[in-house]
Amino acid sequence: MRRRPTRAWLLPLVVLWLAAPAATAGGSALAAPAAVTVADLLADPTAYAGESVVVRGELVGDFGERSDGTVWTQLNGDPYAEAPLLGGGSLAGANVGIGVRVPAAVWPGFDSPGGYRLRGPVVEATGVWRYHDPARGGESYLDVTGLELVHEPQALEEEMRWLPLLLGFGLLGAAAAVAVVRKRRAGE
Amino acid sequence: MLVRPDAQDFRIISYYLGRVLLIAGAFLALPLAWALIGREWAPVSSFVLTAGAFALLGVLASSRPPGEHRLDWSHGMVVAALTWLIVPALGSLPLALSGHFGSPLDAYFDAMSGLTTTGLSLLQDLDHLAPSLNFWRHLLQFMGGQGIVLAAVAVFAGGVGLSLFYGEAREERFLPSVASTGRFIWWASVVHLLFGVVVLGSVAYFTLGFSPVRSLFHGLLVFFAGFDTGGFTPQSTSIGYYHSALFEGATAVFMVAGAMSFGLHYALWRGPRRWSSLRNLETRTLAFTLLLTATLAFLGLAVLGVYRSVPSLARQGLFHVLSAHTGTGFATVSSSELVRWGGLAFGGVALAMALGGMASSTAGGVKSLRVGLALRMLKNQVKAVLLPDRAVVSQAYYQGGSKRLTPALAQAVLLVSLLYVALYLLGTAVGLAYGYPLQDALFESVSASANVGLSVGVTAPTMPILLKLTYILQMWLGRLEFVAVFALLGFFVAAVRGK
Repeated sequence: MRRRPTRAWLLPLVVLWLAAPAATAGGSALAAPAAVTVADLLADPTAYAGESVVVRGELVGDFGERSDGTVWTQLNGDPYAEAPLLGGGSLAGANVGIGVRVPAAVWPGFDSPGGYRLRGPVVEATGVWRYHDPARGGESYLDVTGLELVHEPQALEEEMRWLPLLLGFGLLGAAAAVAVVRKRRAGE
Repeated sequence: MLVRPDAQDFRIISYYLGRVLLIAGAFLALPLAWALIGREWAPVSSFVLTAGAFALLGVLASSRPPGEHRLDWSHGMVVAALTWLIVPALGSLPLALSGHFGSPLDAYFDAMSGLTTTGLSLLQDLDHLAPSLNFWRHLLQFMGGQGIVLAAVAVFAGGVGLSLFYGEAREERFLPSVASTGRFIWWASVVHLLFGVVVLGSVAYFTLGFSPVRSLFHGLLVFFAGFDTGGFTPQSTSIGYYHSALFEGATAVFMVAGAMSFGLHYALWRGPRRWSSLRNLETRTLAFTLLLTATLAFLGLAVLGVYRSVPSLARQGLFHVLSAHTGTGFATVSSSELVRWGGLAFGGVALAMALGGMASSTAGGVKSLRVGLALRMLKNQVKAVLLPDRAVVSQAYYQGGSKRLTPALAQAVLLVSLLYVALYLLGTAVGLAYGYPLQDALFESVSASANVGLSVGVTAPTMPILLKLTYILQMWLGRLEFVAVFALLGFFVAAVRGK
């Protein structure tokens, strides 16, 4: 019986064709997560939905340790994360932040989030961008799988402003003086 | 013929304005104490300066009592309108000195937004703001929502406060005197405050895992902004910060409570006809428009395919419609996402903002009673056309008892409603002139005029100065419901051109 080589050499191609999607999928799973900014996520949230990403920013607000073993906080990717106002940074608009959920196993146990007189820990958070997560009533957040500290928290100073203080006491004193004079005149 | 105001008129206005400023200045003791306890030294100096400015201006203005001359209607209106310009001007001092604003105008914008319970903000880097300053912003909302002039009336004005009361857009005096009505409003607010802080603080502590102090901080500030339908929040991501359906639900309760008239609060708390007040035209209208706008928003979001499950759509859609309708301005999504809510979703939220809450509440907008009366007029007109000539169409409606829709009332309702529409269009036109898309310009204009605070991103430190001034004007006019502002303008015109 005659063999049909033309069909035989097609076999590897078919296998390759069948394997291609799996290989591609495997490749994407193994590929490094895309580095994005918080602004990127907010500007085009659907583009990254379900994707693994790396986001850099400052942890601010509260570290809410919940009963399910996760820690929720806010990651800000604005210029204040690198250059806080009290640290000499300049005004650069409103904050740009997203919520992050960190499993207890990944949480490094930071002490204080960023806030007044404290630039919080600046981190690189790796995780999956959950956009309108149906499991959480449509919330959007970064489901963190890895957290790397980039900059330690930084205490900031804001000292007493003596000129407004003295001016304020001067005004209060003047108001009291006027009130006393008025009362005396009313008495007369 | 215009009658030029004489020295006595100025003296009366100055005297009562001074007294109101003294009361407003007294509120500064709270953030000052907060700053001292928290060792926030820079804010301490700002608060002392601001307290001094309030005190000196208040004492100087009220240094010459008007004697036997009484505060009349126009005086009260002028005092109310001036109060709502001067208090944010002085109240913006600590904000301007904080370094978180690009200019004094931006700080004034924020203070006006706070006092008028709007919630739009030009503050930069909120997440690093001193807690005492953030508390002051929220306290401004509480002062504005409950009525700073009303507080003064309750404390000192006695029987002369009726015009001040109406000047601050209060329409309902449910107790025999203005002073007792004012005292009830402040008493009810303090009871709500205690309850609200306990509820919201408990949710933050027990379910969100915040520290006790931070739970108290969040509970207090979110209550101020929720019950006073203000919209400022402790963190930059608004209520979305909490990632909690329970916290959103608790917040929604206070938003709705804030949008209810204090007359309804009184009826539900103490009134002899507790449940019959739910039959009020205003209550029924609010329920109807809430249902209508929520349906529009749900349909719109479903068509856009924004959310992938019904519970998600219901939770996010309902929260934003409630926030818009009550005039609160809380959000759980960013403004860059809200701007993508086009079509019916945009229509539902924008309409909810424009209609607003109840009269004599902390909410803004056209108000449910006016909407209800306008719909009643329309219904009566249709009936009159369809029924035989000799048929008599009833003009009665129920609002705390059977009342009659008189031609004078109908005229007033339509006039104020039209003025609101004109105000919405004014801000839209200015926004369009600066190149903003129609939908964005309209949304932001309605939000400012109806004292809501939801934003699609137009309100930003970089926006044109004229647009900032327009929004400030809209917030002021919208809060005072025009009459007091027109009285102030009339007073100035009379002072210049009168005889």
